[in-house]
Amino acid sequence: MNRLHVALAIVAAFAAAAAGVIDRGSVDRSHPGARAAAIEFISAPDLAQRIMSGDRDLRVFDLRTPDAFAQFHVPGAHRATAASLAGEPLAPQTQVVVYADARQTIVEALQALEKRNHRDVLVLREGLYEWLSRVQEPRLASSPTPEERAEFERAAEMSRFFGGVPRAGVPRDEVPQGYWTGLPRSEALLMDAAVKSVAAIRRRGC
Amino acid sequence: MTPLTETGSLGSSGALVAAILIGFAFGWFLERGGLGSAPKLAGQFYVTDLTVFKVMFSALVTAMLGAFWLDRLGVLRLDLVYLPETFVVPQALGGVLFGADFLVAGLCPGTSCVAAAAGRRDGLGVMIGMLIGVWLFNLTFDRIASMYSATPLGAVRLTDLAGVTPGVGVAVVTALALAGFAVANRIERRRA
Repeated sequence: MNRLHVALAIVAAFAAAAAGVIDRGSVDRSHPGARAAAIEFISAPDLAQRIMSGDRDLRVFDLRTPDAFAQFHVPGAHRATAASLAGEPLAPQTQVVVYADARQTIVEALQALEKRNHRDVLVLREGLYEWLSRVQEPRLASSPTPEERAEFERAAEMSRFFGGVPRAGVPRDEVPQGYWTGLPRSEALLMDAAVKSVAAIRRRGC
Repeated sequence: MTPLTETGSLGSSGALVAAILIGFAFGWFLERGGLGSAPKLAGQFYVTDLTVFKVMFSALVTAMLGAFWLDRLGVLRLDLVYLPETFVVPQALGGVLFGADFLVAGLCPGTSCVAAAAGRRDGLGVMIGMLIGVWLFNLTFDRIASMYSATPLGAVRLTDLAGVTPGVGVAVVTALALAGFAVANRIERRRA
């Protein structure tokens, strides 16, 4: 082992020991890095339940383009941009939920809210795609498992509340997939499916 | 603020250019490190040449310490770095297949590209086999789809499972790596 290797090993050992020491207790939420790690998601069914229960402390913001918002949005959501969120009147007890088409947009919105010290923010995990798949337009495959049927029945109730049309007995490959079915996330697939779903709703005249 | 691709600082074309440059640098250093040579890589399994172990653990420790400290210094937002989901059974099976390939071919996907780029026919052979494997996987995906998504754990970290803070995890893994380097050097000296 030459001297350079020894020197690098010593540097690594010091950096690791310091990491262990500064992080030995519980995570410090006031730290910028820790604060960033504390970003939380909300699932579409959980958001739907809160909207259905008339939660007054909830504000949902759609960060997509005005055209996309006009086509379809989560019921009760307000159209916003990262810049407009900076000046949006928000009560301290308000919990904000945001969704967008692009991750970058979400990041900018979170930064804008963080700047004004509003940290009670949730991100709709897979955006409108998840909302359409699990709340607005749930689908049940033919020959479903008991778990799939139970999940569909819960979703169908929410779908009818929001004016959607739950569909049962569809081919399995037409059932939307996502983290909730254990499949890895695919941004391209999710966005493609979301666009198709919105187009389908438009064709039906909703 | 980083990661530049996620904060949009690079833009989509900038991200593509960065990917090409980083990929080129990765391949260059793998080749310069001798990891385009199948006998050298296979030496790992016969405990005669532990270069792979040392290179991989060096990369792991460097990235881990860098990510931890850059996050703590407010330069990197670790929550924006994509964390792949864990699927226990399919990934364990994939690991076994990967290891078997490594032992038989002496190359993994990355090093096979490096070997092929350096003009080695065994690297080209492994690359062709890899592409055939991708094609067969797509052909048979419907039959293996249930196994593919079985036993999901979500995006978990070892520190989440162990119930310790990230810093403690970093310290433990670095200590293991440094001890591993010392043992590897001793073994190689004895075998030399």
